[in-house]
Amino acid sequence: MTTFTKEEVVLQARNVNLSYEGKQILRDINFEIKNITRPGMHQGQVISLIGKSGIGKTQLFKLLSGLQSPTSGEILIHKNRKVEPGDMGVIFQNYYLFEWRSVYKSLLLAAKKNPLLKGKEKDAIKQHAADFNLSDHLQKYPQQLSGGQRQRVSIIQQLLKGSDFLLLDEPFSGLDVLVLDKVVDLLLKVSVSDDLKTLIIVSHDIATSVAISDTVFILGEEKGKPGSTIVKEIDLIERELAWERDIKSKKEFGETIGEIKGCL
Amino acid sequence: MTLTLWHTAADGLIPKPVKVAEAFFGLLHTRLLMDNILVSLVLTLKAMFYSIIITLFFSYFSVMPFFKSIAMFIIKCRYLTLTGLIFIFTLLTQDGSQLKLSLLVFGIVPFFVTSFLSVIVHINKQEYELCKTLGYNSWEALYEVIIVGKADQVFEILRQNFAIAWLMITLVEGLSMSEGGVGTLLIKYNKYNDLANVLALQLVIFMIGVGFDYLLGSLKKWLFPYTQLQIQ
Repeated sequence: MTTFTKEEVVLQARNVNLSYEGKQILRDINFEIKNITRPGMHQGQVISLIGKSGIGKTQLFKLLSGLQSPTSGEILIHKNRKVEPGDMGVIFQNYYLFEWRSVYKSLLLAAKKNPLLKGKEKDAIKQHAADFNLSDHLQKYPQQLSGGQRQRVSIIQQLLKGSDFLLLDEPFSGLDVLVLDKVVDLLLKVSVSDDLKTLIIVSHDIATSVAISDTVFILGEEKGKPGSTIVKEIDLIERELAWERDIKSKKEFGETIGEIKGCL
Repeated sequence: MTLTLWHTAADGLIPKPVKVAEAFFGLLHTRLLMDNILVSLVLTLKAMFYSIIITLFFSYFSVMPFFKSIAMFIIKCRYLTLTGLIFIFTLLTQDGSQLKLSLLVFGIVPFFVTSFLSVIVHINKQEYELCKTLGYNSWEALYEVIIVGKADQVFEILRQNFAIAWLMITLVEGLSMSEGGVGTLLIKYNKYNDLANVLALQLVIFMIGVGFDYLLGSLKKWLFPYTQLQIQ
């Protein structure tokens, strides 16, 4: 069994409720994400937030990102601070970028927001562009990039900005098999870049999300109660289904997928 | 074909194309035309400059309720005719030059504000959200999304409104004939039924308009290269 420890809470949702015009969308959302450490390596956290379409994933995504406030309750990050816009790096589903800025300029603007990169912005961009295979595309505009390249630029932009948290909205949607493998590798690479790096993936591609996660939260409905809530939390580390390359071939993985589907 | 049709259809009252061409080249060699074009161009550019400042001010601040109501009122002013307001403007201004400038600005601004507010209204919310996730404050987000992000569209509006301003210049110069201008010249030729010169002058006005449109179009391509890119 892999040695690891779960330490301080890095993100916590406490009694979060969201209503629109009297209609309850999210109800009593409670969960916490702890900092996972593994000896001899930087191990970040990868969380999957799974739920069927229309269950409120996007709303929860917006609450987590701080772009929207809950009707009641709170989302706290490091040391009980309320989440605010800018605390979380957000990768939108359509990999939204400033269409009027070249890739380099967009990345430079993001890097300038990171006090840790002061004076080293250009080197950091160069390094990330090389790591993510984008060195030849820095002078291009977003319109000239493929979907995969846009996604990588979106990720680098948020990494340069320096958030510990990365929220990804449907990162696997519409990707072909080859690109999908690359994106999975990319996310795994990001997740081990820093101990505090926490990736939260909102997706309905259950198998792919679970294969790279250490924890799964299932957003669903409870009979007779309004709105959606976290109906189940699955600790994939305990089940020895985390941090393994060929996890999908394991029998237990298939059983877990079945279990998740049963909760939806 | 048009020229042939024009040549055969023209009778004694409507000058034939050759006559208009002669008048056109004749005009080109006079100092009168150059002086009047210069007067009209300076007035148009001045009016554009003031209109841009007024429009940008009210449009950018239209995010605040107070300025929004003013911007909405300005939009409605499109339906006010200039002719009925000349007397008021004459009272409010000190000389013919100011009168023409204010009439032109009054005529351009409502159209400019209408187009620009439409750009602001249709801004994708995700543009703001991206700014927020990158840690921009409200002013930085406003600068990035509206000022920098929509600069190409503002330029395009400017291009369209130059056409409106150039169209209005003859009208305004006709209302106040002090200091001359192509509009004044046009009215003078009309008064004496000098149709060859009227049409020649129309040709000059048309060519200047098309020339400016091309110039602004080229400038847009150079300033905002991304507007020319194909979406993959």
